[in-house]
Amino acid sequence: MASTRNDFASVWSLYLWIGIAVAVLVLAAVLFAVVRYRARPGRAPSRRAEANLLEVGVAIVILAIVALLVFRTFHTEAKEDDSSAAGAVRIRVDAFQWGWKFTYPGQGVTVIGNSDREPNFAVPAGRTVSFALTSSDVIHAMWIPGQKFKKDAIPGRVNHFDMEFGGRGREQGLCSEFCGLRHSNMRFGVWVLSDASYERWLAAHR
Amino acid sequence: MTGGPRAGGGPLLAWSSIMIALGLMLAIWSGGEAAALLFLVGPVPLLLLAAWSRLRPAPGGPRLLARVSIPVVVVAIGVALAAIGLTGGLWLVLVGAEVGVFGLVWLIVEIRSERRRAGG
Amino acid sequence: MSRLAATDHKQTAAKIAVASIFFFLLSGLLALTMRAELAQPGLQFVSDHTYDELFTMHGSGMIYLFLTPAALGLGLYLVPLQVGASQIAAPRLALFGFWLYLCGGLTMYSGFLTNNGAGDDTWTATIPLSNSTGTPGMGMDLWVIGVALAVFGSLLIAITILLTILRHRAPGMTMLRLPVFSWTMLATTFMVVGSFPVLVVAMGLLLAERHLGGVFTGSTGSIVYQHLFWFYGHPVVYVMFFPFVGAVGEAVATFSRKRFFGYRALVVSLLFFTALSMAVWGHHMFITGAVKNQYYSLTSSLLAVPAGIEYLDLIGTMIGGAIVLRAPMLFALGFIAQFLIGVLTGIIVASPPLDDHVTGTYFIVAHFHYTLFAGSLFGLLAGVHYWFPKATGAMLRERLAKASFWVLVLGANLTFFPMFFLGYDGMPRRVADYEPRLGDLNLLSSIGAGVIAIGVLMVLANLVVSLRRREPAGDDPWGAQTLEWWTSSPPPEHNFERPLPQITSHAPLLDLREHEEEVRERRVEVPA
Repeated sequence: MASTRNDFASVWSLYLWIGIAVAVLVLAAVLFAVVRYRARPGRAPSRRAEANLLEVGVAIVILAIVALLVFRTFHTEAKEDDSSAAGAVRIRVDAFQWGWKFTYPGQGVTVIGNSDREPNFAVPAGRTVSFALTSSDVIHAMWIPGQKFKKDAIPGRVNHFDMEFGGRGREQGLCSEFCGLRHSNMRFGVWVLSDASYERWLAAHR
Repeated sequence: MTGGPRAGGGPLLAWSSIMIALGLMLAIWSGGEAAALLFLVGPVPLLLLAAWSRLRPAPGGPRLLARVSIPVVVVAIGVALAAIGLTGGLWLVLVGAEVGVFGLVWLIVEIRSERRRAGG
Repeated sequence: MSRLAATDHKQTAAKIAVASIFFFLLSGLLALTMRAELAQPGLQFVSDHTYDELFTMHGSGMIYLFLTPAALGLGLYLVPLQVGASQIAAPRLALFGFWLYLCGGLTMYSGFLTNNGAGDDTWTATIPLSNSTGTPGMGMDLWVIGVALAVFGSLLIAITILLTILRHRAPGMTMLRLPVFSWTMLATTFMVVGSFPVLVVAMGLLLAERHLGGVFTGSTGSIVYQHLFWFYGHPVVYVMFFPFVGAVGEAVATFSRKRFFGYRALVVSLLFFTALSMAVWGHHMFITGAVKNQYYSLTSSLLAVPAGIEYLDLIGTMIGGAIVLRAPMLFALGFIAQFLIGVLTGIIVASPPLDDHVTGTYFIVAHFHYTLFAGSLFGLLAGVHYWFPKATGAMLRERLAKASFWVLVLGANLTFFPMFFLGYDGMPRRVADYEPRLGDLNLLSSIGAGVIAIGVLMVLANLVVSLRRREPAGDDPWGAQTLEWWTSSPPPEHNFERPLPQITSHAPLLDLREHEEEVRERRVEVPA
């Protein structure tokens, strides 16, 4: 499964540039209208109040753009939803008021922390990491801005998603679903390590 | 002024149809999700309204209307108090209900005497 | 005293105006406090708990108590006039609705006086955080009850508008001759009828959950609540949009001296737009993993089509016109330009892979403030500046109005544009504190909020001054097109004193003027 980060960047670009183009076009049209058709002595406004062909044409053009965007979106979402997980690293995440518990089932590793002491968990770079996310009290959301991805942690429900981390170093994570008093302090960190460092980290945390 | 406007139900019908289509689409796409039923909350009263408007078109001509209606305000306050009482305590619910009923009776009396004065 | 119980729709609408302005200012003060806190990293002025109350009551106040009632109040005032009716249908019901809304608003805000403070679980009150364990205390109960009352009151007002359009149009005014604003109001009432009852039920169930428990249970309980809430929560933002795009449409037509372009296309797009807007609510739930993302992504993206048609119509109205840049037209243009940014960022978040990053962040805060503040509020101000002379008989000060426009444009963009970057760069919503690296943009945004405050004061000053030292407006100061301008300013008790002109389109006064012009021209051509 491709890294969400790559997909995000190209889809974001597509939407952003089309959005900017549309904005420029529309604003230019408005500016043009206001300047060119400013009231002048002797100018009588046109009586033309309808152009159904134009309306249909514009609707079709917009529909085509929407179709392009939606197609690209569906294509990307299909890739993200496709949780193949053979040989993946498995991590179970339990969100709670106001901290996080990260469990590596079968590895005997658990990391837990809260707003007083931010928890950090580790992942190996370049490999699929399969998350199982839930909450033990209210709805939280696990957001890793560097990954351009978040998912709700819902009590009574487990949300599954895969991620692939590139690079090395520490990524900041936080809660992005209002969950009460210490919502803004519910942070965590992800150490993206080489395979060897990752194994050492696991061993150290058993 | 001659002739009244037509019943006007067309847009209600059109909108309701689009709603039902969208709801069906969700029902099919989601494999029968209950949320699709929410699409009926609008069409049901609107279709009834459109039918009623067609069957009983507005009579046109002058209407009998009150300039001031204090009992309406009293009923509103009664409803609000009773609602607040759901957290404030049973006593408040009862106070609100009392005020509300008082206002309602007053309202009925007001409307009746209006009609009598107009008819007589 | 008896004026509080007047049934005339114009007086009820005036009461709604006063109440909604009051709640706007109150909720605005809360926002200024939030922005003061967020101007620098760290907690300087308020505690975490207080901050939670601030953003909850700000959002709740603006949506439930200001912009929704203002939109419906505008319709309550204008629709009978625009359709040639002497009074709203069911005036007592409208009055009743107003009082429920006012009581609801006061109830919500009275939470501040309780031990645990006012409601503090956002304007959406998501389960399970909003149950009695997550958010204990009477303040939250009062919030729930207040919201139910305010929304129910709004529903009743919308019903009277719907009934008026259905049953009290003047002879000759078919549905396809309704003015642009009245058409947007009609479409708005469809959404209100179709979704507001669901919110009232949701609030009732939430209250039951808080006091009895066992309502939203199991693994799906929180999801069920979200469906019920957002089924209302999405259309309501369109209720806070359509009347104002209608106001903008009227102003643009009047100040372009042209008939509104593409009326039929507008009607069709309104029907689809308002129905579609009821079918997108799941996009607020993309990251729950509990809804069919594709359906909602498709319907949400399709909104671009009718939106585009409406933009085409507005621009088409201006093209070929003889544009006069009076204050209402400036606000209308501000709406058109700024709302666009809200729409385009809305298309972005209609894509779940993109929403996965920016939802729950300041990107979304920026998006909806562009639609609601830089968009709808500017549209409301266009309507206010346009119809103030009609409602009061006095003109607003033109130069002050234009100055306040520019201040608000500066303020709005300075406040909300940086938020797109803040959200993208990792600032979540509903936080009183943030990483120090985000301090500069937050400071910029807070300065913008101060500028907005100045702009708002300028508008208020204009309203006060114009009422104190009146410049008489006359029946039709703008040379407008629709029936409300046929009568005096302000209109008499039963709206119209003299017989209405013949109604041959959605712009009867324009028809009349064009007809008179033709008659005059023909007279000139006839040889002596």
